[in-house]
Amino acid sequence: MAAALLVALFVIVSVIDDGKGWTFWFEQLRNGLTTGSIYALIALGYTMVYGVLRMINFAHGEVFMIGAFAGWVTLTEVFGGDGMATALIAPAIIVAMLVAAIASASAVLVIERIAYRPLRHAPRLAPLISAIGVSIFLQHLFLRLTDGLSKQYPRIFPQGPGESIDIYITEIKYIELFLIGSSIAMMLTLYLFVQRTRVGTSMRAVAEDQEVAALMGINVDRIILMTFLIGAALAGVAGVMYGLWVYFIRGTMGFLPGIKAFTAAVLGGIGNVPGAMVGGFLIGLAESVGREQLNTLLNPALTWALGWAGADGLGLGNEWKDVVAFVVLILVLLFRPTGIFGEVVGKRA
Amino acid sequence: MRERLRNAPLLRPVIEALSIAKERAERGYGSVPNTLRLLLLAALLIAVPFYENPLGGGVVFDDRWLSVFRLVGLYIMLGIGLNIVVGYAGLLDLGYVAFFATGAYAYALLASPASPAIDFPIEDVPWLFWAMLPIALVVGAFTGVLLGLPVLPLRGDYLAIVTLGFGEIIRLFLINKDDWTGGSQGLYGIRAPPLPDVPLLNITELKSTALTEWYLFIVVGVFLVAFCAGRLRDSRIGRAWEAIREDEDVASAMGVDIVKYKLLAFAMGAAIGSFGGTIFASFQGSAIPEDFNLLVSINVVAIVVIGGMGSTPGVVVGALILIGIPDFLRFKEASDLLGLLDPIVPFADTHNWAEDLRNNRFIVFGALLVIVMVLRPVGILPSSRRKLEFAAPVDEAAI
Repeated sequence: MAAALLVALFVIVSVIDDGKGWTFWFEQLRNGLTTGSIYALIALGYTMVYGVLRMINFAHGEVFMIGAFAGWVTLTEVFGGDGMATALIAPAIIVAMLVAAIASASAVLVIERIAYRPLRHAPRLAPLISAIGVSIFLQHLFLRLTDGLSKQYPRIFPQGPGESIDIYITEIKYIELFLIGSSIAMMLTLYLFVQRTRVGTSMRAVAEDQEVAALMGINVDRIILMTFLIGAALAGVAGVMYGLWVYFIRGTMGFLPGIKAFTAAVLGGIGNVPGAMVGGFLIGLAESVGREQLNTLLNPALTWALGWAGADGLGLGNEWKDVVAFVVLILVLLFRPTGIFGEVVGKRA
Repeated sequence: MRERLRNAPLLRPVIEALSIAKERAERGYGSVPNTLRLLLLAALLIAVPFYENPLGGGVVFDDRWLSVFRLVGLYIMLGIGLNIVVGYAGLLDLGYVAFFATGAYAYALLASPASPAIDFPIEDVPWLFWAMLPIALVVGAFTGVLLGLPVLPLRGDYLAIVTLGFGEIIRLFLINKDDWTGGSQGLYGIRAPPLPDVPLLNITELKSTALTEWYLFIVVGVFLVAFCAGRLRDSRIGRAWEAIREDEDVASAMGVDIVKYKLLAFAMGAAIGSFGGTIFASFQGSAIPEDFNLLVSINVVAIVVIGGMGSTPGVVVGALILIGIPDFLRFKEASDLLGLLDPIVPFADTHNWAEDLRNNRFIVFGALLVIVMVLRPVGILPSSRRKLEFAAPVDEAAI
């Protein structure tokens, strides 16, 4: 399914290719897949929590941000940052990811206990506002701790010449290979965990019907907490990956990836684990490939529509890539609220 | 049977209205004293700039206070507007800033000398601001319908996220469409509307007449908006909104035109938001994209929710807490007041608590949202109707 969609997208792209050539599109594709793998990891947290609680964890983007900062501290303070010895790079990344996962999970442990659990039976808006509160609190706490500045991840992957490896059809950077590969590995593990283990089965039971699950002897509170923790750990790892990929992190960095990952979760069908993974990759691709095409496709139409105002279309620059996710979200919710794989959402409230 | 009738969501308003009427009749008063109370309140508020300090030293509330009150008043207006959407109709709109920006830019496009839309010096037209107010209402309502249309089928959290997206898109649009909006520089140099020089208002040197007039204008505006919102709530339209809020499917089955009333709610809320935007652009003298970020939307939603959804007094309390206090912390009085804590708090000799609080106001704001929600999920001053609802045991909690 996913592969088919990717191929379809790729075919569409190549059909409307306006002379930019294959190298360009392969670059967009790699970009999209790499960003998408990060979105997919974040999206899993949204989708799993939504599955068991029917609640959107608005502070999930900040959990992701905490992971990025935890990883940054580990890489720079413990492993020496930019001047890291080559032999240390692999263990450093693994340790940083573990630390990030633990930091994010502990953060969500506290958040869930303080801000969400007391509101589980409150009117529906209350947990939402509370989550927004947590989100603002954490954003500005970290902005405060960093004096409002961005922090830079060490550039430990090869840069410039020798940064890529030839895989016959195209060249791919080591970091891209690493990010895509490790996120796919984590997602497969998670999928097996949810499908095969006892805890995973309990999670699916709680998602299906909390009361019946409780009657079957499942400790619902514990399972909900587990779900939060796993989602947070994945988001934390995603934070480190984001840092390694984009370099700059700051207190407010969680907002946009959070929204996009949420869109990915809805696109894949919220509550559905494989859906979130596919959704993540698709959003990543839509951003990198879609924006390029949007210009070519939309501009004539917009120029025509806005012609009376003397405008020349919207001229979508790079900053418009952030809008793509919102547009996709609105379109999905309007035309296929079930997402690609999921159940009907959007109307439930 | 009787019990079941009492619990039916659609009958609840009727039963409650009857019981209130009964209670009023028993206590021997109708609605007149209520009006009188409001008039008294209005008189007190209008007199605020003129309070003399009994200890001497001029007026109690000088320019600084009036500008804080002006901002609080503006946010009360916005809160009342959003309350129509969120509180009355139950549509969680996290992109309210879009309408605020619409109003501000609509006015700025005409009144700013930096505006690329108009190439004659329209800023010299003295009545432009006053003419713009009704236009802002119309433009706002139109934008409300425009943004409301695509989200008609959405509810709850989904509506929240999509509207949040709209708010962000508007800001990106304002920054990027720089041949219309002046980009991130915004449209500046909007002249304050020339106000009549009323000698009566010019009481001390401590106060500028303009601020006093602004303050009075905002007070009148707040009362006007609150009055309209109250009338809407108690009308057939308001009851339709309430029905939609309680249960959209049942409301639709009872013949409430969902599309019409949802759009009407969006339009009304947006009109007031846009009205506020025009006022904001006017007293700010500019319209800059950064003034219209997500935090504005969240502020207004927080005012509504912390105050108590659907309740106008709640909005006032919410705005005073969330807008008034952070601004008050800038004053020397705030430092003095919080300085009183120094003896109790260790290591506080050289500390300026007010400044600390102000610098960390967003952290405090976030924490405050969580605390209020956990302690009082219905808000500080919930509307009487809502109080009844939340007291009733509900398993499928209403929005």
